[in-house]
Amino acid sequence: MSTDDESFHPLGQEWEDELETMLDDTEYDSDLGMEMAKDAMRVTKGELSEADFHEKYHEDVMDEFGVDDRPTEEAYEEAKKNAGGFAEMLKSFDGDGDESRRDVMKKMGVGAAAVGLGAWGTAEGGQPNVADESGGHATEAHREGDTQWGMAIDLERCDGCLSCVQACASENNLDQGVNWMYVLDYEDGGADTSQNRLVRPCQHCTDAPCEKVCPTTARHTRDKDGLVLTDYDVCIGCRYCQVACPYGVNYFQWDEPDISTEEIAADPENDGEGDMMVDDRDRWVDSRSPRGTMSKCTMCPSRQDGLSGEDKVGTSACEDACPPDAIQFGNMRDEESDPQRYLDNPSRSRTLIQVGAESAIPEVAGLEEDLADADADLESVLEASQDLDEETLQLMKATEIVTENFGEGDADSVDYEQNIIEIFDVLEEHGLDLDSQEVLVGLDLADEPDEDEEFEGADELDAQNALEAFAGTPASNFRLLEDVGTNPNVAYLGNEPGPNAEQVEGPVAYEDTQYERSDGSEPNLVDNRKEEILDEGTVGDAGVSL
Amino acid sequence: MSTKTPSKADILRPIGTFSKKYLAVYSVAALGLIAFLIAWAYQLEKGLIVTGLGDWGTGGGATWGLYIGAFIWWVGVAHGGIILSASVRLLGMDRYMPVARIAEMTTIGGLSAAGFYILVHMGRPDRMVTSVLGHFHITVNNSPLVWDVTVITAYFVLSATYLGLTIRYDVNRLRDDLPDKFEPIYKIITFGYSEKEDEIIQRMVWWLAAAVIIMAPLLLHGGVIPWLFSLLPAMPAWTGGIQGPMFLSIALMSAISGVMIISYTFRRVYNWEHIITDDIFRGLLLWLGFFTLLFLWFQLQSVLNGAFLGPLNTQHAAEGKMAHPAYQVAMTMIFLTLVYIFLQAIRPALFSKTRALIASCAILAGTLTEKILFVVEGFFPPTFDIYTATPGTYFPSLIEILSLVGTVSLVALLFLNLAKLVPVVELHAIEHLTGDHGHEHDHEETTKTETEPEVKA
Repeated sequence: MSTDDESFHPLGQEWEDELETMLDDTEYDSDLGMEMAKDAMRVTKGELSEADFHEKYHEDVMDEFGVDDRPTEEAYEEAKKNAGGFAEMLKSFDGDGDESRRDVMKKMGVGAAAVGLGAWGTAEGGQPNVADESGGHATEAHREGDTQWGMAIDLERCDGCLSCVQACASENNLDQGVNWMYVLDYEDGGADTSQNRLVRPCQHCTDAPCEKVCPTTARHTRDKDGLVLTDYDVCIGCRYCQVACPYGVNYFQWDEPDISTEEIAADPENDGEGDMMVDDRDRWVDSRSPRGTMSKCTMCPSRQDGLSGEDKVGTSACEDACPPDAIQFGNMRDEESDPQRYLDNPSRSRTLIQVGAESAIPEVAGLEEDLADADADLESVLEASQDLDEETLQLMKATEIVTENFGEGDADSVDYEQNIIEIFDVLEEHGLDLDSQEVLVGLDLADEPDEDEEFEGADELDAQNALEAFAGTPASNFRLLEDVGTNPNVAYLGNEPGPNAEQVEGPVAYEDTQYERSDGSEPNLVDNRKEEILDEGTVGDAGVSL
Repeated sequence: MSTKTPSKADILRPIGTFSKKYLAVYSVAALGLIAFLIAWAYQLEKGLIVTGLGDWGTGGGATWGLYIGAFIWWVGVAHGGIILSASVRLLGMDRYMPVARIAEMTTIGGLSAAGFYILVHMGRPDRMVTSVLGHFHITVNNSPLVWDVTVITAYFVLSATYLGLTIRYDVNRLRDDLPDKFEPIYKIITFGYSEKEDEIIQRMVWWLAAAVIIMAPLLLHGGVIPWLFSLLPAMPAWTGGIQGPMFLSIALMSAISGVMIISYTFRRVYNWEHIITDDIFRGLLLWLGFFTLLFLWFQLQSVLNGAFLGPLNTQHAAEGKMAHPAYQVAMTMIFLTLVYIFLQAIRPALFSKTRALIASCAILAGTLTEKILFVVEGFFPPTFDIYTATPGTYFPSLIEILSLVGTVSLVALLFLNLAKLVPVVELHAIEHLTGDHGHEHDHEETTKTETEPEVKA
């Protein structure tokens, strides 16, 4: 779904316009209709209670129609007992065509709500989108719980360095060619291929086909956090999961793995309580799989269970290793998590990483020193400071303006916000009021008020524009193969590969990248496992293919 | 047409004789099986890396290959065999009664080979009991593979019961002529037998046959086995409702061919021209032609549906399939067989048992190729085909190829052993041939005379 589409309706602006025209054709108030439709959508997303929705428009509806035939609060209670509530009733009115929608309008005496209803039916039955899932209401009703680990991956920030592939292989002691994390460049027929790159971990689908087909329950979803894992003690190695997964993320252990379980357990770098293999349920689901069983990206259960230290909870090896922070790991059911914050406002998050990270932020001591003899106005401060220029300060301030509860929360990116707050503190202490008209107007983050007007403070739109001008907005926001119905928990920002996409060589070759394992060995990554590794073991390799 | 009269002695002949040829064939079959058992032991020792398989996607291989292809092929032979036998009993196709038991034994053999393939294919066969049975109550709701194991087991029980019940009748009546060294086995087979049960057994067999005929398209080779593939959305080469009829047609083709080859062998070795008559071969050949026609029709449907106007993933799959040389060879072979069968139907002079045998072999080779290709090709054009290593490469390793020798030997050994234990042609068939002999034979003779001039022409 495009991010610049401001429509409330899941089918977009065009659809919404059509609905509005339809309403214009009726004798009723279109504006009221559209307002109600918007709020009806909010009801479906769980942002507005059904009772509130009823109350909010009761008077308007009475004025306009003389009667409010909408399910009343009492009716709603009754309906909830019988059919699952107002929302269910709304859903049943999802019209098939214009005629039926008109009928619905008449029937309800308020066409407006029906517009929202149609909208809602589509949201419910259609593809899951980020907005749906952020609220925790959504299509994924199959698993309860507040936690669903997942990722937001900014493909436009990925530089193809393979650090994630390397870190994953190292953390999990993988054999060569077992690329749980995989990064690939592709051509898609277009002229500009610079942004065509895909980062492919396991999607940890809410409706995982691999789990559905497993004849043993070895492939399972962990109740507490939605991770899709393989119990290596149960797997029989039939490889049906690999066959059923549409993303090709599974890797079978065709022979004895290179690194023994003893070597993994004795890894000198593992200072956590766990052995990197058994999770907190005492099931062997982590690190490379033993011979004859299936493996794939686990999203690091040892970390999520706190067995690798509390500071690693909510992180993954690939996320930690990614230099441009293109991988955001976190709880997809928490609006305040890194991936959800990132998806909510990619330009803000991109900017935050670039101006708030330790590597980018001016040193506090240095800044204090620079400012020691400077005046307290914006120009003097910027002039005196060596590491802080006007653009950086503008972006820092813009980030703060568009962020609710700046610097608060558990997400990793909050550290960056705190780094910025530290800089702000230094500036405020020096005497520069960052919320003053002088500074905000000077940084183009507020409009100069007219003579008879009072200064209204920072302008969010200006701030957002500044962020977008600096970091850009992603080409699109998608999940892989959504129409297959797997409900993946990895959300992507950037170009979605089309059906004709073909892989091409990336900037860094797998063969040129080495990774370290528990036994001290440092093999190189392998792209084509079959040709380079597996064929060596084939008895009577004919060198030809069917 | 032989003028000999079928007798008990005829069907007892395999049990009573022991020749050098038998010993030679037995040794070859045993060697074939042992060779594969050794190869399998090596695979267990080294892991499945000894096969030509790999991970589809970035890994550049096919996850499943000959093992699964041969598995579904054997299941097909088995299912087709029992359908054939059930039709004989249910629809009163008495003409084929002499080969009914061969068809049932083929079913047992086919299912044994298929079951063996399940084990051979697994990464951890030692966990079959604990992992699969232990979670059966959960997985049976979802996993087509579990459905598969369930129906194959059910089928095995059904077929074995069916065969066992009909054998009781024979063994009891022929007991005096059967060798004493197998006494304990006969005792088990005829445990609690009384002549009163004959009628009941007949009815039970009829109901079992009815169950087989109804279950075959709905659940067995027209249902559960193709569902293993056709329900997966991401492999367009496998998807679609056509796979049900397709699998069933292949099953029947393979089974008829298999039964023809085995019947031909028995007839030749034990001089059963008067029991397994030319007429049976002609009839079976026509049925083979009919199912081959259905098969080619389904192939046409599946290929055309993708190739004409996509969608892209289905189109890639259809194009890949059509362009594959092995597919073209297999289809040509099957088509030419069909042409032959139709020609010999029009001109009976074109019929000979050797040609029927060649036709059967061609069909079996064609269906086996199609099956293996079907499995492997699923991985070549997956919907998510962005990886450079897709399509991957696959060619069966020597061990995989040896598994074919091993399972064919296994089935041969089963027949070689059973032939020494119980009659492979049931007593009912002989009774039928002799009992109604006068009338039936007259009728046949007239038909023959009528067609004679045309044959000569």
